[in-house]
Amino acid sequence: MTEDVTEHSVSEEVTDVSRDSPLNGPGVPPDPAWFEQAADEAPYARHVLTTPLHLDVADESRTNSWTAWAGYTVADVYTSIEQEYDALRTRAGLSDISPLTKVRLSGEDVVPYLDRLLTRPVGNLEPNQSTRAVLCDGNGCVIAEGVLFRLGDEEFRLVLRSSHLDWLRQSALGFDIQLEDVSGTIAGLSLAGPMADSVLRLAGMEKPAALAKHQGVWVELGGMPVYLSRTGMMGGLEYELWCDPADASIVWRRLLGVGQKVGLRPVGSAVRNIARLENGVALEGVDYLSAFTAVDPSDALSPYDLCLGGCVDLDRSVFNGQAALRKTAESGSRNALVGFELDLADAGVGGPICNGDKQVGRITSLAWSPTLQCTIALGLVRASALGASDGFTIKTQTGENIPAKLTKRPFLRFS
Amino acid sequence: MSDDALQYDAIVIGAGHNGLVAAGYLAKAGKNVVVLDSAEAVGGAAQTAEISPDYQVSTAAHLVSGFPRQIEKDLKLSKHGLAWATNDMATVALDRDGKHIMLSSSRKSDIATLTAHAAQDADAWKAFEGRVGKYVKLLKPLLDKRLPDVSAEAATKAAAMLALRLEKMGPADLRAFLQLVPSSVASLLDRSFEGDLIKGALSLEATLGAHAGPHTPGTAFSYVYKKTQEAIGQGMGYPVGGTGALTEALASAAEGLGARIRLESPVIEIIIEEGRIKGVRLADGTVFEAPIVLSSVDPKTTCLDLVGARHFETPAVTHVSRIKMKGATAKINLALEGLPTFANFSDREYGGRLLIAPDMGTVERSFTAAKRGELTLDPVMELVIPSYHDPRLAPMGHHVMSIIVPNVPFDVDGGWDTQKDPFVKRVIDTISDYAPDLSDKIIAGEVLTPPELEDRFGWGNRGWHQGNMSFDQLLSFRPAPGMAHYEAGVSGLYLCGVGTHPGGGLTGLPGKLSAEAALAAEKVS
Ligand SMILES: Cc1cc2nc3c(=O)[nH]c(=O)nc-3n(C[C@H](O)[C@H](O)[C@H](O)COP(=O)(O)OP(=O)(O)OC[C@H]3O[C@@H](n4cnc5c(N)ncnc54)[C@H](O)[C@@H]3O)c2cc1C
Repeated sequence: MTEDVTEHSVSEEVTDVSRDSPLNGPGVPPDPAWFEQAADEAPYARHVLTTPLHLDVADESRTNSWTAWAGYTVADVYTSIEQEYDALRTRAGLSDISPLTKVRLSGEDVVPYLDRLLTRPVGNLEPNQSTRAVLCDGNGCVIAEGVLFRLGDEEFRLVLRSSHLDWLRQSALGFDIQLEDVSGTIAGLSLAGPMADSVLRLAGMEKPAALAKHQGVWVELGGMPVYLSRTGMMGGLEYELWCDPADASIVWRRLLGVGQKVGLRPVGSAVRNIARLENGVALEGVDYLSAFTAVDPSDALSPYDLCLGGCVDLDRSVFNGQAALRKTAESGSRNALVGFELDLADAGVGGPICNGDKQVGRITSLAWSPTLQCTIALGLVRASALGASDGFTIKTQTGENIPAKLTKRPFLRFS
Repeated sequence: MSDDALQYDAIVIGAGHNGLVAAGYLAKAGKNVVVLDSAEAVGGAAQTAEISPDYQVSTAAHLVSGFPRQIEKDLKLSKHGLAWATNDMATVALDRDGKHIMLSSSRKSDIATLTAHAAQDADAWKAFEGRVGKYVKLLKPLLDKRLPDVSAEAATKAAAMLALRLEKMGPADLRAFLQLVPSSVASLLDRSFEGDLIKGALSLEATLGAHAGPHTPGTAFSYVYKKTQEAIGQGMGYPVGGTGALTEALASAAEGLGARIRLESPVIEIIIEEGRIKGVRLADGTVFEAPIVLSSVDPKTTCLDLVGARHFETPAVTHVSRIKMKGATAKINLALEGLPTFANFSDREYGGRLLIAPDMGTVERSFTAAKRGELTLDPVMELVIPSYHDPRLAPMGHHVMSIIVPNVPFDVDGGWDTQKDPFVKRVIDTISDYAPDLSDKIIAGEVLTPPELEDRFGWGNRGWHQGNMSFDQLLSFRPAPGMAHYEAGVSGLYLCGVGTHPGGGLTGLPGKLSAEAALAAEKVS
């Protein structure tokens, strides 16, 4: 790891030099008008969307390596996976998470509405607390997972990886609630890593460490109101910052500027993916299909299949999926999404997981974990195979069978 | 049982014919049942009342054609006063020149009257009846039993059975049937007949009570469906004492079996506790408790207003909220001091169901006008002289006439206050084209515009059947996908009105099948 550190400091110089890149030149702010929608442009005309942080993110990119997230262009790798990973796990990493769908839910009936919408009641959630939210369809299959913030007695914000507004709207019939898609009016930043607290302190915040897990608070950062929450999917110390898109760029720059001292780096999607996998988090659209996307009904999975049974509270008033889930709970789930550690990285996503000679599942996500020094994977296997005495193997692309060790999630534990 | 008992085995909401049938079957199975209705009298849309003193008529629904003998027997309705004044009415397509066409009486006389009109249509009628008869045979087994839910595995079985029966029909009939399902009745009739009058009359039959015209897709199937319902019944007719006598007999039978009927008791809430039915609350706050509630109020109102959307999972709410209910009709009832004179009418014709629909264009125009909120210049209608077979409805020698005018807008241009009189005049003038002395014989009349029907029976602008009887809302899709088994998705709640399978008209089958579903579910648990 010492090597990494030297490499890190070397590249920091590079970053410094490139700060004067011609894109925004010294003292010349980027012109946001480049990315603004023209007045006569139809709302659906754009297939490539940019986040409020796009210019700042572009400014940090040294690799020109981009990826798409819910139609938005986001950085895949800024500098190198090794550098970003190292920053994230040993210092701090900053990412743009603005493409998340954010829905503001408010009104008199918002609690009963959410109780009916989610697999777990929300009444006990205190203001400025958040919780994991699972949405099921009428067949008890998972539509999406997200994070639900309670912002006030009658105000919540649901954050999802993809938009399910149609379902949210349909579910609102008969409830006195207001439902607004506020995705475009809230920018999101993720700040994670052991030095995250220091970064916040350097940015002028007092006592960020007082914030408990899942908690949120309104803070001021450089005069800008920011909702800071101790949430995230990568494990360890992590924060998410939610602010007005007009302020986002300033917040981003301020954090990066002060964070340099402690080794803060922008972190792209590639490393975020490794990190969430280390944390054992399954993603909709990656590890499983949303119930609405599954063309073959057997591809739609219940929360039990995804090992989210802990998020289901069956014995209460009606909620979406309840009737079907009762049956599933009784009969047992067909599948299980479980974690594996393997010695070799030669296997690919979609690769078969075997038990003896029999294929019992397939790999849904896989990455090399630099910390664990092994390949970690999530795989969907038949529940019946879990009890088998034979170990699991994974077939590599060359047809070789390599042993795969069933491992409890999360793979990486933080003290 | 005391009169103010508030605890029952089952509560039935609505004392229309379906609610009463359901109550009868539940009581017969030994259940302690109460029927609650907001109205002052039992019967729902099947009631008999006075037009003026001594002149009685079926106020809204006037003909019974799909009421099965089985229900009559099971509930011993004849013991409770049910007698049929007639159940063998002919359908008569009125012709201005007196060359009426009489149908559905006997094949021989049907063909005779058709031959007088157009010889080729006489042959066509044979073929048409034969073909429709085959489809009726195909569908009939589905109409008088509980259907599996579309989502259930049993549906696959049922579909396979239907497919098998379709297969057995042979390729030509199969093709014709598949072609028929999405067709308009106009295209079906144009393919079959030459004469305008027969096409006009049959297209009116197919669309009566629906928000549809002859050219509306799916109306060919509506025709076949109606014929199937008739095949389950005992012929077209009405009871002595009008359709109200049917519901009176049902009420008496239910009470005889121990059910209690409580009128002027509007239910405002179906109470759910911990996902189960607890009972119902009346407008005055009284609570009746029972583990089972059967509602003959339309499925949309039952689920979304009486129960509340929050007690259902989203898909059920979405489906129910999308139930299409549309169509408005007016009813005119006349007291007459004698029989109006229709040219060339025999006894059988006077006692028949008379249709004024000279051609399909006239029927379509009335629908088009209704869509625009206008009244058509040439109204089409179905009329009956109930006193013809049931003389006690009017003083000696006098008569009553019951007229249904379909395709009347609920909100008419100019408002009903100003449009009502011209509308009535147009209807009377139109009938007078066939019976010129009608106006002279009118002693009194009662006009029920759609808003007035809404006030009295709750049937204003929402069609007759708590949900359009279109292919997408029939069979396993009635009242909505996932609800075809009468269970509404809340444990203990059943739907028993005409909004459920097999749907519209005075058939009593929704009531019977729903009661059976409730009883069967109880046995399982
Ligand atoms: C003008 C007109 C003419 C028709 N002509 C014919 C015809 O000739 N032949 C034919 O077969 N069909 C005809 N129909 C259709 C037929 O009348 C209906 O299909 C049938 O009456 C439906 O019966 P039901 O018992 O399901 O509902 P309904 O008869 O409507 O009974 C429902 C009952 O529920 C009660 N109710 C409603 N809400 C509440 C509440 N909240 N609490 C308590 N009680 C409540 C109502 O008062 C009513 O008594 C006609 C319909 C209309 C409107």
